[in-house]
This record gives sequence, C-alpha cells and structure tokens, in this order.
Amino acid sequence: MGKDIREDIAWAHINQDVLKSLENPRPLFWVIVFVALMMFGVGVGCEVYQYQMGMGVAGLNNPNVWGLYIATFIFWIGMSHSGTLLSAILHLMHADWRKPIYRFAEAMTTFSLMTAGLFVMVHLGRLWQFYYAVPYPNERWTWPNFQSPLLWDAMAIFTYLSSSVIFLYVGSIPDFAICRDNIHPGWRKNLYTLLALGWEGTDRQWRNFRVTYLTVACFLIPLAVSVHSIVASDFAMSQQPGWHVTSFPPYFVAGALYSGCAAIITLFIILRYVFKFEEYMTMPILKKTVRLTFAIAMVWTYLNLIEFASVWYSHDEVAKAVLIDKATGRFAPFWWAMNFCGSVVPFTMMVKRWQTSIPIMFAVSLLLNLGMWLERWMIVTPTFSHGYYPWTMDTHYWPSLVQWGIVFGSFGWFTLLFMVFCKIVPSVSMYEVKEMVYHRSLATKKAELGLEGGH
Amino acid sequence: MSKRHMLALYNNFDEAEAVVRELRNSEIKGFNAADDLVVKSPIEHPEVEEFLGHKPVNVQWFTLIGALSGGLLAFFLIAGSQANFYSQMKGGKPIVPFPPDFVLTYEMFILGGVYITVLGFLICAGLPARRSPLYSAKVSTDQIGLLVRVDDNSAATLRSIFTKHQALEIQEEAGK
Amino acid sequence: MSVSNLLENWSKFRHTHPVGDKGHPDWEAYPSEIKWAMSIDLDACTGCNACSVACYAENNLPVVGKEKYSHGQAMHWMRIERYWDEDKREVPNQGAQFLPMLCQQCEAAPCETVCPVGATNHTEDGLNSQIYNRCIGSRYCSANCPYKVRYFNWYDYPTTENVWPAPMEQQLNPDLTVRGKGVMEKCTFCKQRTYTARNNAKTEGRKIHDGDVQTACQQACPTNAISFGNLFDPESRVAKQWEQQQVELIKEEQEKDVKPGNNLRGYRIFEELRPYPSVMYLERVRESDV
Repeated sequence: MGKDIREDIAWAHINQDVLKSLENPRPLFWVIVFVALMMFGVGVGCEVYQYQMGMGVAGLNNPNVWGLYIATFIFWIGMSHSGTLLSAILHLMHADWRKPIYRFAEAMTTFSLMTAGLFVMVHLGRLWQFYYAVPYPNERWTWPNFQSPLLWDAMAIFTYLSSSVIFLYVGSIPDFAICRDNIHPGWRKNLYTLLALGWEGTDRQWRNFRVTYLTVACFLIPLAVSVHSIVASDFAMSQQPGWHVTSFPPYFVAGALYSGCAAIITLFIILRYVFKFEEYMTMPILKKTVRLTFAIAMVWTYLNLIEFASVWYSHDEVAKAVLIDKATGRFAPFWWAMNFCGSVVPFTMMVKRWQTSIPIMFAVSLLLNLGMWLERWMIVTPTFSHGYYPWTMDTHYWPSLVQWGIVFGSFGWFTLLFMVFCKIVPSVSMYEVKEMVYHRSLATKKAELGLEGGH
Repeated sequence: MSKRHMLALYNNFDEAEAVVRELRNSEIKGFNAADDLVVKSPIEHPEVEEFLGHKPVNVQWFTLIGALSGGLLAFFLIAGSQANFYSQMKGGKPIVPFPPDFVLTYEMFILGGVYITVLGFLICAGLPARRSPLYSAKVSTDQIGLLVRVDDNSAATLRSIFTKHQALEIQEEAGK
Repeated sequence: MSVSNLLENWSKFRHTHPVGDKGHPDWEAYPSEIKWAMSIDLDACTGCNACSVACYAENNLPVVGKEKYSHGQAMHWMRIERYWDEDKREVPNQGAQFLPMLCQQCEAAPCETVCPVGATNHTEDGLNSQIYNRCIGSRYCSANCPYKVRYFNWYDYPTTENVWPAPMEQQLNPDLTVRGKGVMEKCTFCKQRTYTARNNAKTEGRKIHDGDVQTACQQACPTNAISFGNLFDPESRVAKQWEQQQVELIKEEQEKDVKPGNNLRGYRIFEELRPYPSVMYLERVRESDV
C-alpha cells in the first residue's frame, strides 16, 4: 500500500493547494450547486403546499400517521454520526490518516443534522406552534412533557448540533488565520479576520487549543452515541410490535455509523474531483475508509440479524407477525432490497482492486446509503400497517408525491449547504495536514538514521 | 526604560529550540524568558511546551464546572417544572419520573461541558484578540516565529543571538 | 414553586397510577369520587352504526367524504369494526361480528407519556384528555396507541367544502369546538355532557346518580348495548356489570381468566399491555357455543 500522503509536500504548497479550492473549483461545482438548488426548490414547493393544505396531502392516514418524514429524519441523523467518528474517535486513537478528510466529514455532520432538524418541522401538524416543544419559561406557565422521547430527541439534537458546530469552528480557527493572511482583500478577508479571532499560533494559544480540542472530542463521543440511542428510543420506548426492541439503540448507532461512512466515501470522491484534492485525499486513505466502512457494515449486519432472531425466538406473536409481514407483505421488495444493499453489497469492498476504484466505490457507497434509507423506512412504516390492532391491517398506505418531493428536496438542501461550505471554509484542514506531513517525515528520518522509530 | 518587540523567523523547530534554550540560559537585562518570549508556529507541536518550560493549562476547570452546572441545572429545571408547574399525571408514571429526567440531565451535562470548555478556551487563550504589533503571515505558512519583548538597551544582544542561529528575518518595532 | 414544595410532596410525585395507588379516592392528587367507565355488550350489538352517527352529530366530527374516507382519513371517534369468520366460505354462516371501537380511556395511557408538549393527560375523573390548543401534531400519541383510536385532522375541515354543507352547520354542537387542521382528537366520553351533569349535581348539592349522564353513543343505541357511568358508584349499572363479570380496573390479568371453566363474558382489549382500559366488552355468545 502506498503512502497516505507525500511526505515532501512543502507547507507553503499545502496552503496554496487548499486555498485554491476556495477560489476556483472545477465547473462541476457550479453544476452541482445549481442542481441542488433546483432540488431544494422542489422540496420548498411541496412544503409550502403541505403547510397551506394540511398534512393530508402527504398521503398519511389514520393508523399510518408517520411516514417518510420520520424515516428520512432518522436517515439524516444517522448520517451525521460518522463525522464524529472520524474527528473525535480517530483523533483520540491518533489515527492521523483522518486529518485530510475529517473537516468535510464534520461539515457533513453539521449539515445532515440541520437537514434532520428540518424534517422534525416538516412532520409537525402545526408547524407554527413548534415552540410549544421548547422548554422556556413563559407566561402560560406550561412546559413541554419531559417524559416524551421526542423531547429527548429535540434536546439531544440541539446539544449535538451546537456541539459539533462549535467543534468544527474551533478546529478551523488556525485555518481561518491562514485564509486571513493569504486571501486578497474583500468581504472574504473581513470574514476570515473575524472568524480567526486574532489567532497567531502562539504557544499559549496552541497549548489551550490542544486541551480544548481533546476535551470536546471526549464529550462528542458519548454524545453521538446518546443521540442515536435516543432516536432509537422514539421506537424502543413505545409499545408497538416491531419497535419495542431492546437491541434498537446499538442497532441504530451501528446503522448511523454505517450510512455516515458510506456518505463520507461518496463526498470524498466528489470533493476530490471538484476541488482537485488528489494530493490530499489519496487512494490509500480511501482504502482505509472503505475498510472501516466494511467493518461497520458487518457490525450492522450482525445487529440486524440479532434483531430478527430476537423477535423470532421471543414468542411475541404480534412482533413476529410484523416481521413476517415485512418479509412477505406489501413492503417485501423494499425489505429485501434493504437487506441486499446493507449486507450483501458491502462484500464488494473486500475485493482489493475495487477498494481504490473510484467508479465502483462511488456506486457502492450510494447503494449502501440507499439500503440504510430503506432500513429506516422499513422500521417506521410496516409497524403501522401491521400493528397490534387488526383494524390497521385493512388500511393501505403509500406516500404521496408531496412526501417524496420533500424527501427529494432534502438531498438538495444538504448538498447545497455542504457545497457552499466547502467553497467558503477550507475543506481540508491545512494545519493538520502539515502536522501529518511533519510527523511522518520525522518518523521516516528517524528510521533512516537507524534510531528507534517513533509511533 | 522603554521596551520594544522583536520577531525572529526560523525555518524549523530545531533552530527555534536552540534559540529558546540559549535565551532561557542567558541573563539579559530587562528580559525574562518566561514572560517575554512567545513562540509562534504554524502547527501544534508538543515539543514547544517541553523546551519552553512548563506552563499551566486551566481549561479543564472550566469543563468541570460547566458540565456539573449543566447537569444540575437540567435536573432541577426539569424536576422542578414537572413538580410545580405541571403536576399532571401522564400514563400512570410518577409525576417526577427519574429515567427520562436522567436522559435529559445527561444531555445537558454534555451541553454545559462543551459550551463552558469553549468559553474557557477563549479566556485562557486570550481570544479574541488584536494581533500583536509584530506579525508575519509566514508564521501561518511554514516558519517558526519568536516574539520577544525586551529593553531597548538589550535589543542588540538579542539580535546577535537571533542572527547566530540563522534567523531568516528579524523584525523590530521602533523604540518608543 | 419551590424546592421545599418539591421535597414536601415527594412521595406524591413518585406515586404511580393506578397500580401504586392506595385506591380511589385516597390518593391526594386525585381525590375524585368519579371514574367514568363503559361496558359494551357485543351480544346486543347489531352493528347498525347508530352510535357512530350520534357521535358525529354530538361531537362536531367532520364528514370527510368518500375520497378522503378511502384514503383512511376518516374521523369516526366511534367506529364499528367488522370481523368475519375465516371458514373460507363465500358467505360466512354466522355473518360478521361487530365491535364498536372508541378511545378506551386508559388509566395508564400509552399515548400520554409520549406527547412532546403534554397535550394529552389523565384527568381526575379518570379520562384521557386531549388539549387541542396545546397539540402541535407530532402524532406520536397515535403511533403509540395500541387501539389506534386517535384521529388526526389531516385538513382544515371547518373550511373545507361539503364537510358540513348548508344548512348542516346549523346542527353543530355549541358545547364544544370544531377542530382546525393539524391537531389530534379522539373520543372524550362526551366530556361536555359529563361536565354539565357534574355541575348540575354540584349546584343541587348532591352526588352524581346513575342516569344523570348518557353519552351520545349510549343514547342512540337501539339495543341498549352500551352502558356508561361512574365505576366508583356501586349502584351504577356499569359498576354492577363490571362486578358481575369480575373485571377489575387495576388488573392486567383478571383472576377469573386464570380459573378454569369460567363462563363470564366480560373482557377488556389488550389488558396484558397494562394500559388499564376503562371499557369492558361483553363477548358475543356464538350459536356454535350454545
């Protein structure tokens, strides 16, 4: 396997290369932004219509009160988890190959959380009263119901979103200083000057920076796990068959890391091309990410099978009926597609030659995410049409075009935010790539001198 | 006696380290290495702390206070609102049920911890700040900067030390 | 509001209902003498839908029309379900069996804990209330309801054409509201009627008698299959029926059900999930059993 990064890249060269990404990306960038804008427009149109008419236009009905909105909400929440995996967990483990790719993964965390937050809003029947769920002292002397898993969700997402924005920002301060020093005068220079907070790289700043970054990373790991466990609690804490499953929290967390890693591969490939990052987002790093994704895919497969097995052997007839309905009922094609995409497709990642093949990995990562989206849908929907009460089994539910339109639009919204971010904030962390290059060349030198190699 | 700032730029950490060691060992009038010397670097380099001598980091105290107060605030806010404003039975559960309250306490523990840690970072690192009088953009690219504050009389001594170790550039602030 | 208040009443705040309670009306938080309950005799039920129609009229339920009904967006608080014997015959010899389904007014309702804004609560007269003004339409309550008896306002029905075509808006009940889009609603055991009855009794300085209040469905039932009243009043018809059928409110499994050879017809739906429903059904006597 080749080196993760060339060790003889000059530091000044790193600055130039990354700063270039802020100035002139390939034309494909503008195409992506335009398409994303159009997609977002579709979503906005659907939401305006739904807001005017009522939730009925989403095609939901009385036993089937939750649909694609909740499924897609979980999907976006899940996608956010890998940013934390790369930036916090691998940071604590001193895996320095994460350094060129963690910044965009963290941005992905932030923006997918924001997208998930939108779905909470889109899902509400009375969007204009959403602030009833916010705990703040008010003249009505009423508070939200702290017993509701939905409220834990709101709190967890708020904590996670604000913490990861802070983490992303703190980690970017030294890079903002680089931008401030190098970019031509204009509104951008003013913006970077403001964001850099007067960072100069003094020993005092670095010393406190290191401790802060480590502390926030330590907080983010349990936080990320708790966020998706709480999302799982929305289902596991309820009484419904197919939802009331003890293994849901770890299952959801594994699924979250899985879809997040797949999304990182997709975005890796896009950014690498669009911003000409071939020197930094190298094939060996892609290979490592692919292997990590494969490992997580197997964890997910295991937990998925565990869920089926525990239902099957539980003697809970109702839950078993839901499982059988998933495998043989109206949703069977989607359920089998989910299992295929989630558990079979990742085996292509075992082929060494394919691990570094851009077209294959691009297609595979998209398929994995399709599988994970289907997984969320298959968790939410079949329980409604095959619940405890036999009356529900007569109802037929299929999401309307409005629902599909908003789901479609959310991908545009995410892509738009992400692409605009990468154009404004350096999506490769310059100072950390310098660290990586520096430490690796030191280690090489030491090895050449025949001394004891560093770590 | 008026003081002035001087900034010397070096190519790598080894040269900068040699200068710092010499400055710490030499007795220069009106210059104290612990207070008047700042090392600026483009990357975080743990060895800087070693050759610069131990300097305390206090961010973790902010973390402790932030996390504890976040958790306590959450629990008392939630239990208090349930018991006082909202004494209303739901689903046969106790009015102040522990498991959900602990979930929220946990979240607010982390929220408080993160917020106050970052506040602590800004306070401890002295940010946001105006940039120091002598600043070179090269420090954010690839050079190591040594910023010193020294009596006008001793400036020449320092300059000679800087030059001895192959400083790439020496900037000096005019004496006031 | 104070910590001392919290500490003083700690044991009250940590009380669970109904299993941890000492029993009505001992519990301080709910010193009520009323527990509304119902019993429905399926043997008497003919499936005529009169109860459902009465409910539409009494509770201002929107008539959503054929198309929305076929989309499953109907608002029937009281619905008649039909179940057919699965004996593979084209015309089942016993015909359909009917089950009038309405909110079971659980004592420990699964819908209450999950509402993010606390729009649904347990009331002191033993009902499961719904505060329309507070509802934000997350629909979690319906997702967690085992009976699926909560109905969501998918559209703004009061402004929709032909929901109450003129002059039908003249028959809207002034004692309760019409609900706008985006809120959840469900059977209230005709709360407007029970409250009037309680107020009248209070004015007259007496306790509620059996027969002071009838729900709309009960009133309309031609076969008298539905009885409704105060379960805590031993003289009421409903209490007598519960007693006679040996169905107890605070049990997730009735003693009679574990005894062999019991011929009692009373049962509650999904008792084993521990919602402690307030509606008892009397099983239909099948011809084949007789």
